Amino acid sequence: MSRYLLTQTLSFVVTLWAVLTLVFFAVRALPGDAATILGGLDASQAQLESLRGTLGLNRSLPAQYVDYLGDLARADLGTSLRERRPVVRVLLDRLPVTLTLAGLAFALSLLVGGLLGLLAGLRPGGPFDRATLLFTTVALAVPEFWFGFLLILLFAVNLGWFPVIGLPPQGLTLAATWNLLLPAVTLAIPRAAQLARLARARVLEERGSDYVRTARSKGLRAPSVARHIAANALPGVLPLVALELGGLLTGTIVVEQVFGLPGLGLTILGSIAARDYPVVQGVTILAVTVYVLVNWLADLLQLAADPRLRAPS
Amino acid sequence: MLAVSFHRNLRAFALAACLATLGGSALAQTLTLAMSAQPDTLDPQVTAATAAFQVGKSIYDTLVEVNQAGEIVPALAAAYTVSDDGLTYTFELVETTFHDGTPLDAADVVATLDRIRAPETGSPKATEFQAITGVTAADDRTVVVTLSQPAPALLATLASGWGAILPSEKLAAGHDFGNQPVGTGPFRFQGWVRDNAVTLARNDAYYQGAPALEGVVIRFVTDSAVQLQGLLTGEFDVIDTVAQADLPTVEASPDLELVREPSGLVLVAALNARRDYLSDPRVRRAINLAVDTEVVMDVAYNGGTQVGTFMEAGSPWYPEAVEPFGYDPEAARALLQEAGVPQGLRLDMALPQPYEEHIQAGQVVQDYLRDVGIEAEIRIVEWGVWLSQVYGGPFDFDVTVVGHTGKLDPSGRLSGIGDPTRNYTGLDDPELVELIATANRTSDPEARADLYERALVRIHEQAPFLFFGTPDRIYARRANVDGFWMTPLLDSFDFRQATLR
Repeated sequence: MSRYLLTQTLSFVVTLWAVLTLVFFAVRALPGDAATILGGLDASQAQLESLRGTLGLNRSLPAQYVDYLGDLARADLGTSLRERRPVVRVLLDRLPVTLTLAGLAFALSLLVGGLLGLLAGLRPGGPFDRATLLFTTVALAVPEFWFGFLLILLFAVNLGWFPVIGLPPQGLTLAATWNLLLPAVTLAIPRAAQLARLARARVLEERGSDYVRTARSKGLRAPSVARHIAANALPGVLPLVALELGGLLTGTIVVEQVFGLPGLGLTILGSIAARDYPVVQGVTILAVTVYVLVNWLADLLQLAADPRLRAPS
Repeated sequence: MLAVSFHRNLRAFALAACLATLGGSALAQTLTLAMSAQPDTLDPQVTAATAAFQVGKSIYDTLVEVNQAGEIVPALAAAYTVSDDGLTYTFELVETTFHDGTPLDAADVVATLDRIRAPETGSPKATEFQAITGVTAADDRTVVVTLSQPAPALLATLASGWGAILPSEKLAAGHDFGNQPVGTGPFRFQGWVRDNAVTLARNDAYYQGAPALEGVVIRFVTDSAVQLQGLLTGEFDVIDTVAQADLPTVEASPDLELVREPSGLVLVAALNARRDYLSDPRVRRAINLAVDTEVVMDVAYNGGTQVGTFMEAGSPWYPEAVEPFGYDPEAARALLQEAGVPQGLRLDMALPQPYEEHIQAGQVVQDYLRDVGIEAEIRIVEWGVWLSQVYGGPFDFDVTVVGHTGKLDPSGRLSGIGDPTRNYTGLDDPELVELIATANRTSDPEARADLYERALVRIHEQAPFLFFGTPDRIYARRANVDGFWMTPLLDSFDFRQATLR
């Protein structure tokens, strides 16, 4: 187990370093820097140069890279060029919004997708199955921002159940979590559809298995049979669930923009536009970490869900 | 045990409910404004962004300020005198306190003006202060500013957002004004959630008298459709953007009012005089004649007033002698032929994203140019790339469209024009540079006006731009909002007299 942890940690560090290096140079390869953006139309060349000095942008790329890695080793993510405060603060301010949104969306997609897939798979060709097919087809064909606009129009503008703009002025509060429901639904719809399709296929597969026939011939009731089917279908669905969880982070970029939510998605867009290199790098670190953690979690869940994997070889 | 904690929870809940209702009634006198841009920082000395000064106007004060008529009037300086040689300005300060309770004195002004001029501050506006040689406190309430040469534009600079006065104690302590602004303004800073909102509360000790509103919330809403929806539902009281397609909706609603007033913008398509053919003033004039700028203004910018030189329409500096070029494709073709421009000349037109209106204007220009035998090829360029590659550095464009924001003094608008090292149009006209420089340091108002007039006439003739015009400033408010206004030319939000009926 410790060997497993060691290799996993090592691979995480290498992945992080590779992605971070790529992002470090890619974002600096974009023409323009934070000084040109802050200076706008009014700043003279001399002022831009002095601004670059203040922001530490006039040093050579290799020097900046070495410094950055050194700071990182001391757990210092640097200072935002745009907000002029520690990147850690920038990220911590935004993280709760994105995490709550992604968490809500994940729970919704799991619940709806899993349930739809299971029920549809148990009665293939039935009216419920056909309704599910219709839902998943539409949900996967339509881009998620469009669902967002539709939900805003219906629930915020026409019915007035939600404000048209994401969160109250003070940001995410307990009461304002309600406001995240529409964006979470928007984010969950295509993911629930994907999950429903895979779950249905896996359930159908299990349904034809010998053990199901045996169980039925033994006179087991339908709910009990369904429970066995679900337990056996689960390991096949888990990798997709992990993949989706990782993909939720990119999904939030679109949804945060549609709903005007002050989360990490808007931060990454804004910091690329402002050439705020340290923040772009900070978000990258966060994204890679989440991805790796989610994959570990999926591995562990796979072990828990599938006893065969635990058996000594 | 369970019962006790249940009761405790219930009491906490009841208390929270009471507080919530109290909060609700307090909010009734809070005005919410939705703006499409947002500041990067609220430190007025490290940015050039209009958005920062639009918000900062409520938090900070300046020595002098711009009133609704566009005149410069006393503010933190109750009175000021200028010496006969124009080299010494003396300001007498009002009695007031900063939001942190420290009283305003001459040392604050000295520290503020020292900081913005220091190169390590990195203010993009520092050049506007470069004539200053010294700032001293004659006594507690008197500040003396000495100049190396007359700088009639100094008052305009001090009236602008970047002239905001900061407390010297906090400056010395290296306070983070960017995230925790402290000023003497009508509203105290309360909080800022980026990409979301800035919250302000009334400053009861405001030296001009406390504002009527208890608070102001400035929300950052990029999408104009969302702004309008929020205005319709009452979530917002004022919105700063109305899309052309939504104008009828706003005008038809009895609850809403559309405000249309002159803006300080000059919209142009810059013509790169470094390039073949475009280096010829005849070609640049021909391009001005080839495009119906009234159509450009109507289609891309919701209408406005055409201009024929680099000054906003309606400005007292706009020369009477200069007319817009007018639409005359025949004359344009003749001029192009005279200049030897081949049929089907290809021009690279760089248009900045995400400025949809400029992209639209570029498309209209493209159509008109095709009529006179010029093929403009549109290239969409992200803003950061545009700033560094088109507006600066390699000047990689033949034609590009942008808007130049309002300036209180013509020296700001005309800075660098005629000098290809300092201006993206690449116009090389030493005589024009000299005219502008002389005007900038001329104190006598009449002589100064005459010099600027000559410069602006020359800019018309040289035509370094395809001049479009000055758009209207269009915003909308709910009908129960009174007394809200935007500073002429600077576009700052002024909530001091605002009330909600």
